[in-house]
Amino acid sequence: MSPEIIRLIIQATGDTLLMVAVAAGLGTVFGLPLGVFLATSKRGELFAAPVVNAVLGALVNATRSTPFIILVVAIIPFTRLIAGTSIGTNAAMVPLTLAATPFIARLIEGAIREVDQGLVEAARSMGATPLQIVRKVLVPEALPAITLGLTLAIVSLLGFSAMVGAVGGGGLGDLGIRYGYQRFMPDVMGVVVAVLIVLVQTVQSIGDRLARRLNKRLRHA
Amino acid sequence: MNAPLRRDAFSVGAAPIPIAAAAIRFENVGKVFPGRSGQGSVTALEGIDLAVPQGSILGVIGRSGAGKSTLIRLVNGLERATSGRILLEDEDVTGLTEAGWRARRRTTGMIFQHFNLLSSRTVFDNVALPLEIAGTAKAEIKARVETLLDLVGLSDKSGRYPAELSGGQKQRVGIARALATEPKVLLCDEATSALDPETTQSILALLKRVNRELGLTILLITHEIPVIKEICDRVAVIEGGRIVEEGETFQVFTRPQHPTTARFVETVTGVELPAHLADRIRPTAKAGDNAILRITFTGENATAPVISRLSSVVGVDVNILAGRIDAIAGQPFGSLLVSVPARDPEFSAVLGALKSLDLKAEVLGHVS
Repeated sequence: MSPEIIRLIIQATGDTLLMVAVAAGLGTVFGLPLGVFLATSKRGELFAAPVVNAVLGALVNATRSTPFIILVVAIIPFTRLIAGTSIGTNAAMVPLTLAATPFIARLIEGAIREVDQGLVEAARSMGATPLQIVRKVLVPEALPAITLGLTLAIVSLLGFSAMVGAVGGGGLGDLGIRYGYQRFMPDVMGVVVAVLIVLVQTVQSIGDRLARRLNKRLRHA
Repeated sequence: MNAPLRRDAFSVGAAPIPIAAAAIRFENVGKVFPGRSGQGSVTALEGIDLAVPQGSILGVIGRSGAGKSTLIRLVNGLERATSGRILLEDEDVTGLTEAGWRARRRTTGMIFQHFNLLSSRTVFDNVALPLEIAGTAKAEIKARVETLLDLVGLSDKSGRYPAELSGGQKQRVGIARALATEPKVLLCDEATSALDPETTQSILALLKRVNRELGLTILLITHEIPVIKEICDRVAVIEGGRIVEEGETFQVFTRPQHPTTARFVETVTGVELPAHLADRIRPTAKAGDNAILRITFTGENATAPVISRLSSVVGVDVNILAGRIDAIAGQPFGSLLVSVPARDPEFSAVLGALKSLDLKAEVLGHVS
């Protein structure tokens, strides 16, 4: 492999990591409050707003059921509005974030719904406000599950990021298609796949370890 | 504005209800849960009149579904009454908003059957939670939590997580947490139902201690009659959303009026006839039969030397069949099954002697 190709692989790995990191970060920033709201706004819950809950739930489902590659193309005007262009790594972060947000919101909703309702009742009996219950009870108690959810989201984003090559976004997927497939360089394709495998493994094992450390439920004296 | 509300303030001649002495008072309280789509509404509580005197321990006993969980949750606004009034220290809280309730809840601690401790927080941080919620300063939280952990005997577990504790230790953390904001009332929701008998005893002793030492009023709900027997000054029996009997524990236990109460107390006060006699017992006496008597000892009579009195003074042979003596709310209570000759004059002499000792005797039947 030529030094030029190696430089390209390093460049692409950096692009992928940047895209995934930004999408996961922004996806969490938007997805956490959305997920918390979805988990606490049905009838009789802390922030009861059943209609808003239903509308947001439908919106989340619609975004999640749109195939990612179609989403990327469909929101090009929006992408141009946000990133100033619809081509390149920066532009690719827009659809990635848009896909990550509802996915992360659902994962967080699930994690929070797993928290024992008895804890919510205990916090209410202490005079906690709904916001205090979220901050001091629901999120800390759901943190191990949220960590595992975010790990899953990051791994999925690594896969999604390979598709943004279709609209001129960079990254490992793009490199694999353009060099490995279109220019018949199977060795490049092999390296791309290998790097992706290593990335997924690394993310997964860091996530697992972090979740285990945060989980105080399984310890025994 | 906040002058004590007295229902009978303007009634003439009626005996005033001692409202001032009640920490918690229910007045004709009802709770109806609205029905889910297609189903009718459910009446959980109906016509509840109950007063918990300040500094006392009142136990509400009932089977599951009797409405006791709803009842206890009305006291801190986790459920709202649909009719009647609830007064906490003479203040009508029936119409409080959620914000009003939040402030009130800091004066009411609550402990739970499954402890409801946060698994992500250490023992220290669990006890600190209500203080954090109330916005207490860090230094004060530290001092307060340390005092509380000392009170419940868990100072050495401060940095542990709930998963590392036993059930009894978890409930001790629950109690420390409930006392953190220095409440005047403690609500116990089946607090010992998930614990083994020995641990139950130690938790009950702790509750009794905080009741005495801190002057805390305790309202507890349970389905376990030993809990009532052990620590409750008063007991209310709830069935089908209504209180069917209420009074001082010793009175209720020794003279139950309602069949449900009788069934509950039987398990701690009752003495069963041995099986070989239960099969042969008959209501009328034949010649040469022995009568089987149940003698009930209450209060100071519980220590009366009844057997020796019967044999020495009356001169009859007394055969002890079964018996038990126990303390109910701190007062001795016993029951003894004996057989004595059913013929007169011995039998009348026995009854006379028991009467002179002020003991309750009841003829269960006769055996040959």
